[in-house]
Amino acid sequence: MEQKIINILKLILETKDVNVSCSQDTCPEWDSLRQLNLVLELENTFNISLEPEEISEMKSYSDIIRILKAKGVK
Amino acid sequence: MNYFIFRNNTIEIFFPKGYSFSGYDDISYIPSDVDGYLWFYQIPIKYDLSNLVSEIKSYIQKLSFVLERIDKNKPFIALTIDDLYSVVFSDDDFRLASVISDYNNFLFDAEQKYPNLKVIDIRDFYRQYRESELIDWKFYFISQMGLSPRLLKPFQTWFKQKLNEIDLKRKKCIVLDLDNTLWGGVLGEDGIDGIKIGGDYPGKAFLYFQEALLNLSKYGVILTVCSKNNEQDVFDVWEKNPFIVLRKEHFAAYRINWNDKATNIRELAEELNIGLDSFVFIDDNPTERELVKQSFPMIAVPDFPEQPYELPVFFKSVVDSYFKVYSITKEDRNKTKQYKANALRVQAEKSFTDFNKFLESLDIKIIISAADEFNIPRIAQMTQKTNQFNLTTKRYTDVDINEKLANGCKVYCISVSDKFGDNGITGCIIFNGNEIDSLLLSCRILGKGIERAFIKTILNSMKEQGIKEVKAQYIPTAKNVQVKDFYEKCGFTCISETAEGIKNYVINLDNADLKVESYYNTIKLWNKK
Repeated sequence: MEQKIINILKLILETKDVNVSCSQDTCPEWDSLRQLNLVLELENTFNISLEPEEISEMKSYSDIIRILKAKGVK
Repeated sequence: MNYFIFRNNTIEIFFPKGYSFSGYDDISYIPSDVDGYLWFYQIPIKYDLSNLVSEIKSYIQKLSFVLERIDKNKPFIALTIDDLYSVVFSDDDFRLASVISDYNNFLFDAEQKYPNLKVIDIRDFYRQYRESELIDWKFYFISQMGLSPRLLKPFQTWFKQKLNEIDLKRKKCIVLDLDNTLWGGVLGEDGIDGIKIGGDYPGKAFLYFQEALLNLSKYGVILTVCSKNNEQDVFDVWEKNPFIVLRKEHFAAYRINWNDKATNIRELAEELNIGLDSFVFIDDNPTERELVKQSFPMIAVPDFPEQPYELPVFFKSVVDSYFKVYSITKEDRNKTKQYKANALRVQAEKSFTDFNKFLESLDIKIIISAADEFNIPRIAQMTQKTNQFNLTTKRYTDVDINEKLANGCKVYCISVSDKFGDNGITGCIIFNGNEIDSLLLSCRILGKGIERAFIKTILNSMKEQGIKEVKAQYIPTAKNVQVKDFYEKCGFTCISETAEGIKNYVINLDNADLKVESYYNTIKLWNKK
């Protein structure tokens, strides 16, 4: 899952500069529109539905890992 | 493409990169460094109906404000609105329905007033989905998306198709099979009274299909037949079966024989002078479809429905995929008539030995007009559709043509008629200063020397205006080989040719032969300046 998420972030944020410390604060490309695209991509890839609360908490790579793990994604 | 979109919801993800967006319901900023504009407003979610109605009314005012301020030479596409979610508390309250129709009617009226405005009816897209599929409320609340992101791909496909309709990229001709395609049953076995057409199902389904095709042909689509049958049997059906709608006179050409369909289609293309990539082949027999697909990959071959009751849906998808155009011109409506008059001409031609005598007998009338608001749509359409007799193959929209005129270019079009019929506007020439930017003629009028009479008449008038020399260019494409030496034949000198085959020409008007044969009755309709 970790590598998949890195790839999704690279694709959505359109930058190669993505690593495990990536977050909305450190990555200028990560704006609200890309957040929306990210949600759509995560929902499609892992076949899950993210709740609005989870979406608003999801501000970094580690947030994504935490939320997806909590939803049972492996 | 770099469009600026006025919107009141989050719709960015539906559009390709390069598009830019207004703020939500914000018309204070109108950029000028874009290729065009799109107006995509949706009905906001509001439960106070009178408030909602006045908000939608304000959109009309905003749109008209924007339309007045943008560059009239840039395309402006406006989408209609529709009610995707509203709660009307009383059955007899039509205020919302009525303001929606006001809004949409405003768009359709504005289309008449602003030539650069094209309206796309989004209800055409919404209609394919249930209310619950159109809005995904989670995404509405987290991002103010008025349309479900699940519809991303279908929306993009639909929207692209609509843009293509505006750009006039479409097929020109349908090749139809007969047995089990235009009627039920097999003529050779069931006889002219035994085939199923009209009356009850399944005859009724085939009758509808014929009526649908007949009406499509009125919009300029050419109908032809390619059927394995005895020709005389089919003539008998056309003449004697009282229920048939499509008869001999509705088909511009036909091949009814036992030859293979690939050969027949190639012949139809030659006879009608239409490229094979303009054909759609409709046949119930999968083997024939496969043969045509493999022989001519450029021909569109839709799958034919298994059951006659599926024909209405099939017809609609054929129209949507290949034939819908944004607006049709008078020339389109008359096209079948013209193609048939051409076939008559070919026959008349055969009985003459002296070609000049033949031309003389045709009473050819050539009318050359300067571009104006009435013929510009047709001129733009011709630049989009003409492939064979097209010297530079530059594609223009009506907005482009207007822009050229504004920049001092001269644009003329040619209408040709003869004793067999009026071909309408069938060619044009665009001058940028003393250089020919575009020269094209519809294949329908070729073979009568009109192309040379046209250019010589134009050159004569340039000479009268004191112009000494005219430059021209030939840019080769896959389809315009026939005009490779056109300018040489008209007395131009080729001064250079690039490795890609682009040829540059010049003609000195003082010593050029600009005589036009007297049997062309040439009429010039423009203001001499």
